[in-house]
Amino acid sequence: MRHSAPAQGRLKAPSHLARLLAALLTAAACASPGGAGGLAGSIVISGSSTVEPISIAVAEKFHERHPVVDISVDGPGTGDGFELFCDGEIHISNASRPIRPAEIADCEDNDIQFIELKIAIDGIAVLTSPNNNAIGECLSFADLYSVVGPESRRFDRWSDANSLAAELGETHAAPFPDVALDVTGPGEESGTYDSFVEIVIEEIAAERGQPEQTRPDYQASADDNVVVQGVTGTDTSLGWVGYAFFKSNKSQLKAFEIVNEDGACVAATPSSLADGSYPISRPLFIYVHAEKVEDNEALSEFVDFYLSDEGIASVTEVGYVVLTPGELEATKDAWEARETGARDT
Amino acid sequence: MIGTTPATYAPEAVRKRLQGKRFDAKGFAFSACLLAALLITVTLLAVLLYDVINGGWSVLTSRPIEFLTGSLSSAAADAGIGQGLRGTFFIAVFVILVAFPIGIGAAIYLEEYAPSTRLTRLIDVNIRNLAGVPSVVYGLLGFAIFVKALGSFTGPDANGRTVISAGLTLAILVLPIVIITSAEAIRAVPDSLREAGFGVGATRWEVIRSHVLPYAGPGILTGTVLALARALGEAAPLILVGATTGFLSGGDSYNLASLQGRFTAMPMVIYNWTGRPQPGFETATAAAIVVLLAVVLVANATAILLRNRYEKRR
Amino acid sequence: MAPRPGESGVLSVESLKGAPGRFRKESAIRRVFFAAAATSILISALIVLSLAGEAWTFVTQVDYSSLWTDGWFPRRGMYDVKTIFVGSILVTIVAMFVAGPLGMGAAVYLSEYAKPRLRRTLKPILEILAGIPSVVLGFFALTWISPEIVQRLNPESSLFNLMAAGIGVGILTTPLVASIAEDAMRSVPQALREASYGMGARKVTTSTKVVIPAAVSGLVAAFIIGISRAIGETMVVAIAAGATGGSLFNLNVFEPGQTMTAAMASMAAGTDAVKGAGLTFQSLFFVGLLLFLITLLLNVSAGRFVRRVRQRY
Repeated sequence: MRHSAPAQGRLKAPSHLARLLAALLTAAACASPGGAGGLAGSIVISGSSTVEPISIAVAEKFHERHPVVDISVDGPGTGDGFELFCDGEIHISNASRPIRPAEIADCEDNDIQFIELKIAIDGIAVLTSPNNNAIGECLSFADLYSVVGPESRRFDRWSDANSLAAELGETHAAPFPDVALDVTGPGEESGTYDSFVEIVIEEIAAERGQPEQTRPDYQASADDNVVVQGVTGTDTSLGWVGYAFFKSNKSQLKAFEIVNEDGACVAATPSSLADGSYPISRPLFIYVHAEKVEDNEALSEFVDFYLSDEGIASVTEVGYVVLTPGELEATKDAWEARETGARDT
Repeated sequence: MIGTTPATYAPEAVRKRLQGKRFDAKGFAFSACLLAALLITVTLLAVLLYDVINGGWSVLTSRPIEFLTGSLSSAAADAGIGQGLRGTFFIAVFVILVAFPIGIGAAIYLEEYAPSTRLTRLIDVNIRNLAGVPSVVYGLLGFAIFVKALGSFTGPDANGRTVISAGLTLAILVLPIVIITSAEAIRAVPDSLREAGFGVGATRWEVIRSHVLPYAGPGILTGTVLALARALGEAAPLILVGATTGFLSGGDSYNLASLQGRFTAMPMVIYNWTGRPQPGFETATAAAIVVLLAVVLVANATAILLRNRYEKRR
Repeated sequence: MAPRPGESGVLSVESLKGAPGRFRKESAIRRVFFAAAATSILISALIVLSLAGEAWTFVTQVDYSSLWTDGWFPRRGMYDVKTIFVGSILVTIVAMFVAGPLGMGAAVYLSEYAKPRLRRTLKPILEILAGIPSVVLGFFALTWISPEIVQRLNPESSLFNLMAAGIGVGILTTPLVASIAEDAMRSVPQALREASYGMGARKVTTSTKVVIPAAVSGLVAAFIIGISRAIGETMVVAIAAGATGGSLFNLNVFEPGQTMTAAMASMAAGTDAVKGAGLTFQSLFFVGLLLFLITLLLNVSAGRFVRRVRQRY
């Protein structure tokens, strides 16, 4: 029985482990997050990956002042964000388009009231690789429709779109040369996708009796970063992404100018976005859970901070365009009044 | 043939026939191909290590402390992996506390107690199949059970998307590996040791405690450490359990109350950063990979060295 | 534990039985260990249960024509299962073209050719390779394999492609294949080799004509387990194969594509509340169940082959 002495010592271990496990689990079950002193609580933010950088920037500043408040920010996409929001899982839903009637109905089913706050303006930049010299500098909506619209399925050369482009007319860059066409864009859960379809595709698609969506076979991702990566992957690529993502990755990308209503080619710049002359721009929103604002002090403080000068400065810091003073005032009023429901904007 | 050879030449001819050609081209080519297979594999490992170390070196040398303790950030220059390391640490704790005792216990039952019944065979086959279930399927299990069904326990304020859910999911994922490797170690214990114990009147548990486990200990330890390393590197289940990817405050606290908050972990940080095109993030990703690899490979190497040492001793 | 002497100072059967407390303790311990072993059954039941519910909703409510369209776009209600199934098969084929020769070659070399000292160095290296997390190989596949190997082989290929993902998965699978194959080769009795040498056969002949045929069941098992691992691999494909939003039916490995695993990961990335046309969320569980059944089938058949080797020797 020589083994027995060390063995007993060793075999005490499991019972210690079991006790430790029990202690750990009870502690975890009983304790509530947060600490003593100052503002505490938790804020869960999700939704659009376009708005995500603004919310992250605001959250980072807020965290410095109130280090005890737990904040998490994710960016799965506007649609998925509303899904979570209307399930009551998150406090703030970032959105790069207004909430839809179907989503409002979802929220109503779960008795969730929301406060809609418009916070910034964003353009959608249509991108290619800086090495792309084959396509020209400027595209019209008809050009875009012919390469990414619902009728462009399985086009993998730019020239495949030529007959469709000829049929449409009003093109600027077409006919296209015979070079590879790799399309990358935000996925369908993304508000950027929805805005792009609404502004660029919808009108032509409706005229032609086509579904109001893009071709399905493009490289899609909810993560705008992946879109940028895809566009840089091949020389004659095409993609679209929120303007801020273009701006922060300018060295790796080239943005097309877009033909506006007057037939002029306009580049996406802060000033062309602000004055509305760049044709593909849309407002950005946050949606706040109205009921949780009432009983979560951290959340209402956070939104106060979001709309303060320091908070809203994040919009320009991460590369978006600020609202006009009048619009920002309207947003602040809506927040002060805790005005719920979708506004007709 | 030999019979037809003139007797006077026989010794030389026989020697030649028996030795064959001096240079065996076919054999040489075959072994060269095999060696090439091995060397290609080893070279790929070397290229991979060089690629990530080369990529991440600048970050690890220019701001080591900030990087290891910093939090997720939208700016690559400020981004750190403190929260990822914390999540990975707690996942390890859960695996050690949950998977190890249950896994070793199950192995002891199967090797020492289990009668040869249909139930035992079912358990045995079942464990082997569980070991082959893809990790993403375990992610779905974790999502359905720990996030949805038990969400009020695993994280009432975070909808169950917490490190508790992740840790339990990964503990379940590696449980079959722990059982199989521990069972192998226990099986390798010579029966004579057990018989000696029974011979002096010890009960089964006493024999296991004093003879079997001490002998199988190093083998069990090796298997459990390898299983732990596997758990620390898994990302797919974390996606389904819902690790945070954007920004997280407070996710770097090591107190127990924070277990019920949102979390992230090393593999998830790497997955998320891989998708970012800014040049800063490519180096940050490489640096994070170097850290994760250091943790995982040191664990693996320790386990392998440990095993080789004990194997040699016997 | 000295036996207690009987009343008369003579050992009786009664005195050898031991104290009842010892037996109670013994059976309690046995029950605890049984519970631990039974946990595995519970886990299997939970897996099936958690998958089956939502998968059943999917199967009963899905419009069957949407299961056979020309692409997998769950958010548009296009659930063409063959697209992601074929994607998985393509990645697996590429992976096995890498892992098959490399793994088998390494196994034969380690078991038949390597001197003990070389083996002691090489084997741990293979085991270290086995421990590399799959996200790391995903990063490697995207940042090195794709531009340095795949795009050089085929300049037309896009950055995200099934080929790079397949090679990455193959590298990940190689150590597993090698380790199982080597076990099978080493379990061939030494006597067989000696008999072959005794007949005057060379090493190459002995390896290819005697040892490999004797271990063939084990080698097949190694290959099948490799396939099972490759089909179930998620992160490498999710990172390097692209097509995260969905994919048209595609047989070109130089194009982006999607596998069953990557389809699940990309649907759940960042959130489990997958939004889309009706059954998107449920399709996640349907694919999970499908994947579970496929790998189960592969593992069970590999188990058969392994048992065949064990029975023979």
